[in-house]
Amino acid sequence: MKKIFAIAWKDAIIRFASKTEWLFFIILPITFTFLVAGGIPSGDDDNRIRLLVVDEAQTSISQQIISELENSTAVRAEIVAREDAESQFDNRHASVVFIIPAGIDIESLQNGSAQVELLQQPNNLNATIAERAVLTAIRRVSSSISAAQNAVNVREAKQPFATEADKQTYFEDSLELAQSIREDTPERVTMIEGTTPDEIDYDPRTNTSAGQLITWVFIPLFGISALFASERQKGTLRRLLTTPSRKATFLLGTISGQVVLALIQMFLLVGFGIFAMKLGWGREPLPLFVILFTSALAAAAFGTTLGTFIKTAGQASGLSIMFGMLFAMLGGCMYPLELFPPAIQSAVRILPTTWAMEGMLDLGLRGGGLVDILPEAGVLLGFAVLFFTVGVLRFRYE
Amino acid sequence: MNKLLLIGIKDLKLMFRDRAALTFMLLAPFLLTLAMGFVTGRFSGGSTGISDIPVIIVNLDQGDLGNALEDLFNSEDLAELMEPSASSDPESARKLIESNEASATIIIPKGFTQSIIPAAGATFGQDYVEPEPIQIEVYTNPSSPTSAGIVKAVVDEFISRIEEGRTSGMPSFLQLMQSGLVDPQNIEAEAGTLFQIVEQPESNAIALTKNTEGADAVEFDLLSYFAPGIALMFLMYTVSYGGRSILAERAGGTLPRLMISPTQTAQVLGGKVLGIFFMGVVQVGILILASTTFFQVRWGDALGVIVLILAAVLGATGWGMLITAFARTPAQVANTGTIVMLIFSILGGSFISLENFPPFIQTISKITPIAWGLDGFTTLALGGTLPNLVEPVTALLIMGAVLFGIAVVLFNRNGLVQL
Repeated sequence: MKKIFAIAWKDAIIRFASKTEWLFFIILPITFTFLVAGGIPSGDDDNRIRLLVVDEAQTSISQQIISELENSTAVRAEIVAREDAESQFDNRHASVVFIIPAGIDIESLQNGSAQVELLQQPNNLNATIAERAVLTAIRRVSSSISAAQNAVNVREAKQPFATEADKQTYFEDSLELAQSIREDTPERVTMIEGTTPDEIDYDPRTNTSAGQLITWVFIPLFGISALFASERQKGTLRRLLTTPSRKATFLLGTISGQVVLALIQMFLLVGFGIFAMKLGWGREPLPLFVILFTSALAAAAFGTTLGTFIKTAGQASGLSIMFGMLFAMLGGCMYPLELFPPAIQSAVRILPTTWAMEGMLDLGLRGGGLVDILPEAGVLLGFAVLFFTVGVLRFRYE
Repeated sequence: MNKLLLIGIKDLKLMFRDRAALTFMLLAPFLLTLAMGFVTGRFSGGSTGISDIPVIIVNLDQGDLGNALEDLFNSEDLAELMEPSASSDPESARKLIESNEASATIIIPKGFTQSIIPAAGATFGQDYVEPEPIQIEVYTNPSSPTSAGIVKAVVDEFISRIEEGRTSGMPSFLQLMQSGLVDPQNIEAEAGTLFQIVEQPESNAIALTKNTEGADAVEFDLLSYFAPGIALMFLMYTVSYGGRSILAERAGGTLPRLMISPTQTAQVLGGKVLGIFFMGVVQVGILILASTTFFQVRWGDALGVIVLILAAVLGATGWGMLITAFARTPAQVANTGTIVMLIFSILGGSFISLENFPPFIQTISKITPIAWGLDGFTTLALGGTLPNLVEPVTALLIMGAVLFGIAVVLFNRNGLVQL
């Protein structure tokens, strides 16, 4: 036990001998979490898609369209001048711009010449969703005019109007009626977020916090391979052969030291999530510890196996960052898994990052408890057993 | 000039002998681009990754409108986007959401149709009372916000069309009643036509013209954004790797040897800078060639691509030199280079489009060659040509020149390239 502790302590001293290690250990993970989460509003913020609206018509019709957009649950209308909108669009700072040109009024709607314009960045999901919102808004405004026009046509078919003025009056009365019916329309759809035992509010930053935590903890754990390679290169592993220490003692000391450091790093990042980002990581401490511990074991085991395949510390360092980034991207740590094609969602289940992420989201978003994260924890333990077995079997002192 | 080239080419050769560095400079960005192709659905033919959204429909209404909504989710139009399944029990359907087995459950309550379309036999006389509204419940999975939002949008649009029909027919009917033009004997028949309009094509009183930038010229390829983003990220590593070689040569004693040869300090420094520049150009060039060959990424105007690569590498080289000027040992350059690479990758938009960031981050991103490079590569992917690249190319050239100037001042002050 003493030997194991001594080896773990020695590794910790070596790792933190350079001050830059602190950057990778805590400063960069927090910076990244802050930056990535900065692009995502919290649950309390208005997270609707920003829609730039250019109102050159300045008529009651354009006001009605804008009012409909302001009521939208999908977009947040921001009124700007055309020049500003086009500049933001050209610089790709805005994904969609809605232009209501001069001349959009009741008359233009009546004679069918009303035409509005939507500028969309190509292949942009936000622009596609905004398009649906704009279509809904203009259809709602159009529908009143169309209804009034329809009423005039129906009436004219039954009994022609005596004068044009009568016809116009009938149209205006019908329009008022249609607008009043539309305004009185009750809500017919209610959206309820999946309720959880503790009524957790959805906060998209939970995904970012979990993803960055896993990414920044897995990369140094994969870097255990560099520790082995470095000791092998320097010949210090060979020296161990001359001491009465077993292979298992060395491996256990190295791995347990890094796992403990990873757990400290995880708790610091979880603390940042709880105190700085007000995320609900502290709700279920025991299941959180289980999922973090099994994740750390799985990553450390992968690092151990990786260390038996490579020769130099330089290779190990590059490969651990490469695998860390790859696993993070494919495991849903950078982009939510729900955005992946279904086949890829299934395929990435071979990665420990996917299961670690799922476990974290079970706790952070779905309000799960110990029972809910047991499948993920079980799979992560399975990864740990598999990779440790391969790593130990392949481990050589030189 | 000959000496500059010799030093530069020597550094380039050394890079190709370092397998660990090559792994990070070429293999890592290639694999990350490959992964990006998979996760974005680029290799499965989709414009975005979202498809087959699992949605459960509980139709307790069984009326015309409830059935129409169920049919809509099972229609050919939504076949690729939605993967609907039916359930008769709201509670078990909600539990499937809580166990993360579906993105949303739509519960259409009993009597929904009749709350909008009055039952046969209802009269539209003075004592007509509009039925109590009954709401459809969209129960969403909080961990699939995008998919759930799309499901809600489809339901909203369906309801919007129903309301459009109701709003369209009602004024005609009420106005006719008020004008006394409806035969009391035919009230039911006249009212019956009220909601037929639901099935009519959507209103076109206001026409919407869509303008997707560059869509006519070239279809935008997601990898045309992410492939250069990742290549530019790893370019930051390459330039620091190159800078590291200056300090490594000093530590190894080869730099003083160069200095005692009839070679000027400026030539040595220039040769090293040229070496970094060569490494960057070769790295980005290989990555572009590989992604064109293996992933069929469309980069756009070839001349524009070449000029942009040269400018981006120059801008990045400036950063490489600056990092080297501040460092004392090769290990410091390596660490700082990796840190700068990672921070610039996020700030520059390598993984997340800058439009998703708040304005102050977008402004800060301008210090990175990645942001300017990506701006240029996106312009090219959208059909732009060399004249459209004036802004990013100028910014990158200025960045390279200014940073190089600062680095030279620091080199002189620190006596880096002196015996």
